[in-house]
Amino acid sequence: MNVKTWFADIEINEDGNVAECSPCTQDVQQLAERLLVFQTDPQQIPPAGFDPVQNAIECGFAAGETEYYSLLQQTCIAATRLKIKNSYSPDLRIIHAVEALDDIDEAANLLAERLGIWYGEHFPEAGMLTENLAKFVAENGLRQDLPQDSQFHETARSSVGMEMDAEDGTIIKAFAADLTSLYERRHVIEAYIHKNMEQLAPNLEEVAGANLGARLISMAGGLQSLSRMPSSTIQVMGANQALFKHLRGKATSPKHGIIFNHPLIKNSHPKIRGKMARALASSLSIASRVDAFSGQLNPAIKEKLDRKVRSIREGNK
Amino acid sequence: MKAKTFHENIFTLQQGKKRFLATRNLSPGLEVYGERLVQVEQTEYRVWEPKRSKLAAMLLKKLPSPFTNTSKVLYLGSATGTTVSHVSDIVQQGVVYAVEFSPRTMRDMLPICEERPNIIPLLADASKPGSYANVVEPVDVVFQDVAQPDQASIALSNVQHFLKPGGYLLMSIKARSVDSTAKPDTVFKQQLKTLLEQDNSKLELVKKQKLAPLHIDHLGVVARKTE
Repeated sequence: MNVKTWFADIEINEDGNVAECSPCTQDVQQLAERLLVFQTDPQQIPPAGFDPVQNAIECGFAAGETEYYSLLQQTCIAATRLKIKNSYSPDLRIIHAVEALDDIDEAANLLAERLGIWYGEHFPEAGMLTENLAKFVAENGLRQDLPQDSQFHETARSSVGMEMDAEDGTIIKAFAADLTSLYERRHVIEAYIHKNMEQLAPNLEEVAGANLGARLISMAGGLQSLSRMPSSTIQVMGANQALFKHLRGKATSPKHGIIFNHPLIKNSHPKIRGKMARALASSLSIASRVDAFSGQLNPAIKEKLDRKVRSIREGNK
Repeated sequence: MKAKTFHENIFTLQQGKKRFLATRNLSPGLEVYGERLVQVEQTEYRVWEPKRSKLAAMLLKKLPSPFTNTSKVLYLGSATGTTVSHVSDIVQQGVVYAVEFSPRTMRDMLPICEERPNIIPLLADASKPGSYANVVEPVDVVFQDVAQPDQASIALSNVQHFLKPGGYLLMSIKARSVDSTAKPDTVFKQQLKTLLEQDNSKLELVKKQKLAPLHIDHLGVVARKTE
């Protein structure tokens, strides 16, 4: 029997003794690459009970146990390093981007709320919110600093708001500028996700839209794992609480998870949302599979979904 | 503070009324995951937190320790290497083959391997023993702490390939990872059945013990390979 170990190819007799052994050189990098080949494609596995340590010493690969283990550790560390380095998939960038987007949203909402209250104290008549307000304050500062031609010039002069001095103005203006830059960063990341989704998962992008598609990839932990999910899982992904409540037998099954954000479901009548969710989820799972394994845009997926959507809507009339 | 031997190379430290589990530090001066280092009579010990380690919890729950100073150990599911580092302390003259599937957690474990000469890292799938069979030698102990629905059969296939006759399997069954909806007791029964009652299993149960309240819904199992 011929067996392959990390340090040598060994020919074993029928009585279990070593007939022939050709040890590798003690080059850690080469040994590590050899090891990785076996890990991905196990073949000629040594039988159970085979003792590599004694064989390595008899073979002349290592002088003693100490040397054997030292080489083994170096080789395994080198192999693990290589494997870790090759383990990052391109969808990781999208996952991080979409998660960064969520973090920005959370932070921006908090800051926007603060700015609204803070600046509202000073100039309640401005009547703006979030991004508009942030831009307005970052550009103009306090209400007494508004230029003559501003549409708010008159309202500002008769405002009932609290007086603020130049020092307050500097601080609130800088605060608004930070918030504005956060909103700008959000737009940049959104564009980045859009662009990358078109390259990485064109079909998913077409069916789900860039944002929802990226979110699905992020929740599944990667395009590969999304493509291996049954469409029923995709359908309820993100509705974990409701799903587990259902599995414990205490509720009806959830109709949709994160895919609720798709206009097809969100804008449909509640009565047909379940049907829509099923149709959409099955298209999504097919789209993600095509993306994961071929990467070519296939317009037939979207067309099929559109036909299905039409028939659901007609059936409901 | 006083150090007492609890099992071979495993100690308890007594401080007033408090008692800590600890191991002798193999790389003195270095801590691995923020644990306390304690100096007692020229020996440095690392405090072993049972709430963070299933193995420590199993020992405190009076399951026997099969480890000796020279044990060879196959550790399945090493994660970031906190427990592995203690096992490496225990088997000072032995070897720990640490198998972990996730590259992300393995990245955190690599620095520990570089500090300790007796840990061999293997980034591989524990359910495919063939993928590391050309590295791992026959071992005295198989320890398993993986979050997989087919935990018992993974343990069994590794035991069949790597465990020496008379060697021990230690595992912690995670009921919630096997089946999150079934009752833990049902899951334990079914997993033990897979482990012990198959024709080719060759395992006999030594002791089992629930790890609550240290680890909820976990069952610690020690089994011995008969032939």
